Amino acid sequence: MTPVVVVTGASGGVGRGIALACAEAGWTVWVAARREDVGTDVAREVDAAGGHGRFVRCDTGDERSVISAIDAVVERDGRLDGLVHNATSGLSPRPVRFAELTMSDWQDHIAVSLRGAWLLARAAHRHLAESAGSYVMLTSEAGFEGKARLAPYAAVKAAQRGFARALAREWGPDGIRVNCLAPLAMTPAMEQAFALDPAMEARVTERIPLGRVGDTVGDIGPVARFLLSPDSRFVTGNTLMVDGGSCPIS
Amino acid sequence: MTRPLVIATPGGDAHRVGSGLAAELLELPDPTGISGWDEAVALEAWRAAHGADEQHDEVVVMVQAAPPQRADAVALDPSDWFGRAERPLAMWVAALGVAVGRVAEGGTIVAVVDQPGPLDSTGWAAEAAVADAVEALIRSLAKSEGPTRNVRVNLVTTPRLLVAGPVSPAPPLDGFPGTLDQVIAATRMLLAGEDSVVTGSVVHADAGRDYR
Repeated sequence: MTPVVVVTGASGGVGRGIALACAEAGWTVWVAARREDVGTDVAREVDAAGGHGRFVRCDTGDERSVISAIDAVVERDGRLDGLVHNATSGLSPRPVRFAELTMSDWQDHIAVSLRGAWLLARAAHRHLAESAGSYVMLTSEAGFEGKARLAPYAAVKAAQRGFARALAREWGPDGIRVNCLAPLAMTPAMEQAFALDPAMEARVTERIPLGRVGDTVGDIGPVARFLLSPDSRFVTGNTLMVDGGSCPIS
Repeated sequence: MTRPLVIATPGGDAHRVGSGLAAELLELPDPTGISGWDEAVALEAWRAAHGADEQHDEVVVMVQAAPPQRADAVALDPSDWFGRAERPLAMWVAALGVAVGRVAEGGTIVAVVDQPGPLDSTGWAAEAAVADAVEALIRSLAKSEGPTRNVRVNLVTTPRLLVAGPVSPAPPLDGFPGTLDQVIAATRMLLAGEDSVVTGSVVHADAGRDYR
């Protein structure tokens, strides 16, 4: 049976890379995003790459939107095997002095990344239990190390890891695996961060033993596909670093 | 040398920690008055009102809540979720924002967070998320405040409010989950030492239960 997976924030960057990597295996991939125009384009790319691409509108910080999106997937395809929460706030790459972080911006980070992780879990739980499925959250090395000017981003990425570890214990008896993946890949957000801080690119690259920033489709996507597939059936509560060795957590 | 400053949620252990460290106490707004982000925005005014007052060499930050009941994450309703995850995160950002403003150059900040360890996190997904977020905030502040002001920023985690022993396997040390005096001792250790180069570190004051 063809696996059915949902990837949030899949209209670009790492989410798109994961969607296309799953497409290469012939999977049905739901591109869940707020922007229908670019989301639909990625769904077409999924088709072209050998999968079955579909788009569903989803604002991960909004309860009704999340429930509606998951319901639409199950109504159309009858099952849900995998869920990837990749969406982050549009503020993620924007540097901020900590003492000047507004509650409005902090809420936006939390809503998309952390509340979204929880809302998706609530909406998808019974469907993933039926399929003995997998839930993957995209975190970041920032969540381990912290970032001087990206503290809110680092914090919500770390929060997802704590949430995932606990959820893995809660969902283990249901046969659902929960893991995190921490990628380091060239994405529009990364390009934006490099543009805002031109010295950042050299700093990032020089600490990567493999000598380059990863590719979303070729380097990150297959690892996410592994975590979504039965090949990882005994892996749960983990964070896989997919960063060329940049953040040596082991 | 100034008296330490303890920034903490009202009630709870704030007064005992304050007296244990012979510290001045600054209480956060009552969290029960914050039921959504509309109210959380008021924390900005509190931060602005207190962030530029007298500076201290040692600042301790504790955001605590009443010990929550274990509940599966998917069983929480939005109100529960806000109270257990998002409100504490709003309060941590406000409290740490004041701490950054009130710590003197060359000083140190120690945060104390209740953290369910990996083996004990079932039913406390929200609390686990908050604690991990605080770790990342501490490491971020260590990176932003160290180079410019030589300020050290560290974290003590405790399972004290979340876990009532016994647990299995038994931690290496007796007395799990520990006492407030032991938490104060760990805090004092991180506050001490003008020549210390310890920053961005996490001390798990948990009798060895957390193996990370």
